[in-house]
Amino acid sequence: MRADSGSGRPPTRRRTRALSLTAGLAAVVMAATACGAAEEDGPVELRFSWWGADDRHSTTQQVIDRFEAQHPDITIVGDYTDWASYWDKLATSTAAGDAPDIITQEERYLREYADRGALVDLKEYGEQLDLSGVDPLVAESGNLDDATYGIATGVNAYAILADPQAFEEAGVEMPDDSTWTWDDYVDIAAEISEKSGGDIVGTQSMGYNESGFAIFARQRGESLYNDDGSLGFTKETLQEWFEYSLELSETGGSPSAAESVEIEAGGPDQSVISTNSGAMAHFWTNQLGAISATSGRDVRLLRYPGESEHDRTGMYFKPAMFYSISADSEHPEEAAMFVDFLLNDPEAAELILADRGLPANVNVRSSILDALPEADARSAVFLADIEGTIVDGNPPPPIGAGQVVEIIKRVNDDVMFGNITPAEAADRFISEVEEATGSV
Amino acid sequence: MSALLQRRKPAAPDTASAAPSAAAPDRGRAPNRKRRETLAAYGFLAPWFVGLAFITIGPMAASLYFSFTDYSLIGDPRWVGLENYERMLTDERLHNSLQVTFTYVFVSVPLQLGMALALAMVLDRGVRGLPIYRSVYYLPSLLGGSVAIAILWRQIFGADGLINQVLGFFGIQGEGWVSHPDYALGTLIVLNVWTFGAPMVIFLAGLRQIPAMYYEAASVDGAGPARRFLMITVPLLTPIIFFNLVLQMINAFQTFTQAFIVSGGTGGPTDSTLFYTLYLYQRGFGAFDMGYASAMAWLLLMIIGGFTAVNFLASKYWVFYGD
Repeated sequence: MRADSGSGRPPTRRRTRALSLTAGLAAVVMAATACGAAEEDGPVELRFSWWGADDRHSTTQQVIDRFEAQHPDITIVGDYTDWASYWDKLATSTAAGDAPDIITQEERYLREYADRGALVDLKEYGEQLDLSGVDPLVAESGNLDDATYGIATGVNAYAILADPQAFEEAGVEMPDDSTWTWDDYVDIAAEISEKSGGDIVGTQSMGYNESGFAIFARQRGESLYNDDGSLGFTKETLQEWFEYSLELSETGGSPSAAESVEIEAGGPDQSVISTNSGAMAHFWTNQLGAISATSGRDVRLLRYPGESEHDRTGMYFKPAMFYSISADSEHPEEAAMFVDFLLNDPEAAELILADRGLPANVNVRSSILDALPEADARSAVFLADIEGTIVDGNPPPPIGAGQVVEIIKRVNDDVMFGNITPAEAADRFISEVEEATGSV
Repeated sequence: MSALLQRRKPAAPDTASAAPSAAAPDRGRAPNRKRRETLAAYGFLAPWFVGLAFITIGPMAASLYFSFTDYSLIGDPRWVGLENYERMLTDERLHNSLQVTFTYVFVSVPLQLGMALALAMVLDRGVRGLPIYRSVYYLPSLLGGSVAIAILWRQIFGADGLINQVLGFFGIQGEGWVSHPDYALGTLIVLNVWTFGAPMVIFLAGLRQIPAMYYEAASVDGAGPARRFLMITVPLLTPIIFFNLVLQMINAFQTFTQAFIVSGGTGGPTDSTLFYTLYLYQRGFGAFDMGYASAMAWLLLMIIGGFTAVNFLASKYWVFYGD
C-alpha cells in the first residue's frame, strides 16, 4: 500500500524534510551566533547582593533604578538579607557556583573568599572601574598579595551611640567623651538604669562585637590581630574586657543575659536605642542614620570610653564594606561598570549618602556633605573630629576572622549567664580564635 | 492473594483446551509481553532511579569522599585520611551537640508519642465531627517543621511574647523562654511534642483495627478501663507504637529548622540548642570546613542506624504481631 502511493510523493516529502532540516540547522547556528553577539551588547542580567536593614534595601533599589536608566541593556537584580543570614547564603551560593555577580563584602570575610579564588582582581577592569578617587586611608584595605579583591564603600568608626532624651528622662548628665574612663562608662550605665527605675537601661551589652575589644586592646598598646594574623593582645586585657561586660550586667547597667540574647538577635532595628528602651549602644558610625530614624530621636555619637586613660587612643577607621565581583560572573565588565557607578557617580552617592560609610571617593564625599541628613551629617563631623586622634590603622584580619563574630557572642553569653569566669572566657576565646584563624 | 491464584488456575486449562492451535503463538508472545511489561515498569521507575542516583547516592558518595578530605567548599578538596574523624574525639562543641540532641530525642519522642496516643484514644471514642478534630490536631504536624512556625514560636516564647503576657496576667514574671539556656531546649521540645498529629492519625487507624468484641468480653469479665488499656489496647497496638517510635526517633535526630530559626542560627544561648545538625551546618557553611561536616554527617548516619537497629532487635521482645 505505502510503497505504491509513495512512488510519486516520497522524494518530494523527503526533500522538504531535508530542506527543513538544513533550514532548522541554519536557524540554530544563526541563533547561536546571535547569542554570541548578544553577550556583548544585548541585555545583561547581574545580581548584586548586600545585607542590611529595611532602609538600605529601598535606597539601594533606587540606586539600581538610576543605573538601569543610564544602561538600558543591563538589569540588576537585588539579592539582600540581614547580616547574620547573609554569610550563610553567600557561602552556599558560592559553593554552588551561583554567587551574585557583585558581592558586598566585609573585611572579616573578604580574604576568605579572595584566598580561595572566588573574587576577581578589580584592577584588571580599570577600563570600566576607576579607583583613582578613593581615600588613600582605605584604598588598599581590600588588597591581598597586590591584587584588589574589594574596594571600600566608605569609612567607618566603631563608637558609642547615645540618646540624649533617654539620659534626660533618667536624670543623668551626658558624659564628656573626651575624658571618660571605662569605670565612668560602667557607673553611668548603672546610674541610668537605677534612676529610671528600670524603664531605661543604661547600655546595650558591650561584649558581643570584637570590634569594640579591638579599641580596648589598642588603648593598651595592643591589637586584636598582628600583621601576620596572629593574636596581638594579652590574656589579661581580654579578661578585663569580659570583667567590664559582666559588671555591666551584674549592676543592671546592661540588660540581663537572656534579654541581651534577644536584643542581639534583633539586629540594629531592635537595639535598645531603636526601641527607646536604653541610653547607649555600641555601633558603627554608618548605622547612626538608620538607628536614629527607627528611634525617632536625635541620637548622638560618643567617643569610646578610655580614649585618654592610657598612653594612646584606640579608635580607628575601618572600611565600612567592600564591593567585590565574583570570579564566577559571566559579565565582569558590566559588573565593574556597576561598581564604578556605586563608587564614583554622584547620582548614586546622593542616594546612598553615608549609609555604606562616609563615601570612600573623596570627591564624591565632599559633594554630598551638604546633602547629608542631620544624623549622617553628625557622623561626618564626628569622623572629622576624631581623625586627628587616630594613631594608626588595623592590619587586615586573617582568613577565618569571620568565625570570630560568632565565637565572641558565644563566649560573652557564657560569661553573662555565669557559666564561666572572665578568665576562662579569655582562655576560651583565644584558643577558639587561634584554631579558626589557623594561628595555633 | 490466594483468591487471585484460585481464580487464575481454572482459567489456564480452559484456554488451553478450547483453542490448542492458538496456544502456540501465544506461548511465543508471552515472554515478549512480559519483557515489554518489565521494560515499561523500568520506564516508569526511571525518574525515581535518576533521582536516587543523582540526588541520593551521588551526593552520599561525594560526602563520604569529602569526609576524608580538607575541603573548604570554594577550593579543591585535599586528602587527609582519618583526620576529621580523629578531631571529633576532642571537639567539645561536638560532644555538647550530641548531648543536646540525645536529650531532645529521648525526652521529646516519648512525650510526643504519649500525647498522640492519648488524643487518639479520646478521638476513637466516637466524638462527633471526628474528621474536623483529626484535621485540627494534624495541622501542627504539617506546619511544625516550617520556618514560619519557628518564627511564630520565637515570638510567642520571647521575653515580651504571648506566654509571658498571659503569665503576667496572673502576676508571674516569666523568663525569655528561648533566650535563657535553662529553658531554650525545653521550648523546642514543647514545639516537637506539639506536632503530635502525624503519629496520632496513625494511632487512630491502629485503634480502629482492634475488634470491639475484645473490649466487650473483657468488660463482661470485669476488667476496668485501665486494665482494658494495658491488656488489650497496648499489646494490639505495639506494631503501631513501634512504627511511630522508629519514625519519630529518626525525625528527631535530624531536627534542624526549629533550632536554626529559634536561635538565629547560633545554637545559642550558650550552645544550649546546638543540635547536631545545626553544628554540622555551622562547620560546613560557617567555618568552610566541609570535610569535617561530611564526617559529622556520616557519624550521624551511624548513630541513627545504630538506634534503629537496636529498636528492631528489641522489638522482638515487646512487639506483638497478632498471629
